[in-house]
Amino acid sequence: MLILFKFLFFIIVLTAVMSVIRRGREGVLGKSGLLFWLLFWFAALIAVLYPGSTQFLAAYLGIGRGADLVFYSAIIALFYLMFRLHIKIEGIQRDVTKIVRQEALKTTIPAPSSSKKTV
Amino acid sequence: MIMALVPAFNESRTIASVVKDLLLYVDDVVVIDDGSVDNTADLARGAGAIVIRHSLNRGQGAALETGHDYARRSNADWVIHFDADGQFMASDIPAALAMIKTSKKDVLLGSRFLGNHQIIPWFKQWFLLPMGRLVDRLSGTVRLSDSHNGFRILGRRALDTIFITQDRMAHATEIPGLIAKYHLTWVEYPITVQYHNFGQGTVGGLKIVRDLLISKFL
Repeated sequence: MLILFKFLFFIIVLTAVMSVIRRGREGVLGKSGLLFWLLFWFAALIAVLYPGSTQFLAAYLGIGRGADLVFYSAIIALFYLMFRLHIKIEGIQRDVTKIVRQEALKTTIPAPSSSKKTV
Repeated sequence: MIMALVPAFNESRTIASVVKDLLLYVDDVVVIDDGSVDNTADLARGAGAIVIRHSLNRGQGAALETGHDYARRSNADWVIHFDADGQFMASDIPAALAMIKTSKKDVLLGSRFLGNHQIIPWFKQWFLLPMGRLVDRLSGTVRLSDSHNGFRILGRRALDTIFITQDRMAHATEIPGLIAKYHLTWVEYPITVQYHNFGQGTVGGLKIVRDLLISKFL
């Protein structure tokens, strides 16, 4: 069962790495992004193929088990990803606003202005 | 030229009377219809306003900045922020304008607390507004007696300096922040607010804090 899981995970990592390389070639992913994702998938593959490897790093960081290290790291990574997504979405929202504003001002029909008031 | 900017989202119940009242005191009333699904735009136009229509709802801050853009192009001398829900009194405008002119300030900010004739829901007065003031302090705004009051008058210098980037309600913290950042001069003025509904609640306040935090990373 475990061997089947390792095999399936290997296929998933292979697909992901091919996708990362393709996106790098297309210019969608920058050099640092390419390096990050390649290292990420390589580390994930090592952790799955050799579960004992995480134990070493966990012990070095003062965390009891290797599985706990993977779990904590995953939670931190997910929180960070959520944070980045929030910021990205807000940026897109502001771009939408700019477009809506441009369009609104372009199609505005001015009403006849009343006389100038002084206070 | 004195121009009132009225952001409006589904305000068909009050918009016509607000526009008519404002036209007694200003040259132009610009209603920024923020993607309403009712007939706010038609009613505002019928009452004599210039209507700028957002095709999508973008929030009060976004609507105000659209109004600023229009006012800059129209060479407005004075811009008045005014709510569409009928809570403000247009009759406060002449004295407020006179005050900002004689005091030679860049911005006038309405305050519910300088006068003592306000009826404010107690939860708002003793919890939400103090919390709002705290958030304002932490955001580096000028120190105001009233937090998040939508009545403001901007002179030309302020209009050319204040660009609102907060699309939703956090613009009410962003504006005093920009006043402090660009060393604009300001004055508070007591205005009357008639509460027809509660306005910003706790959830709204938390959303403002979230928007302010996220904007630090943009």
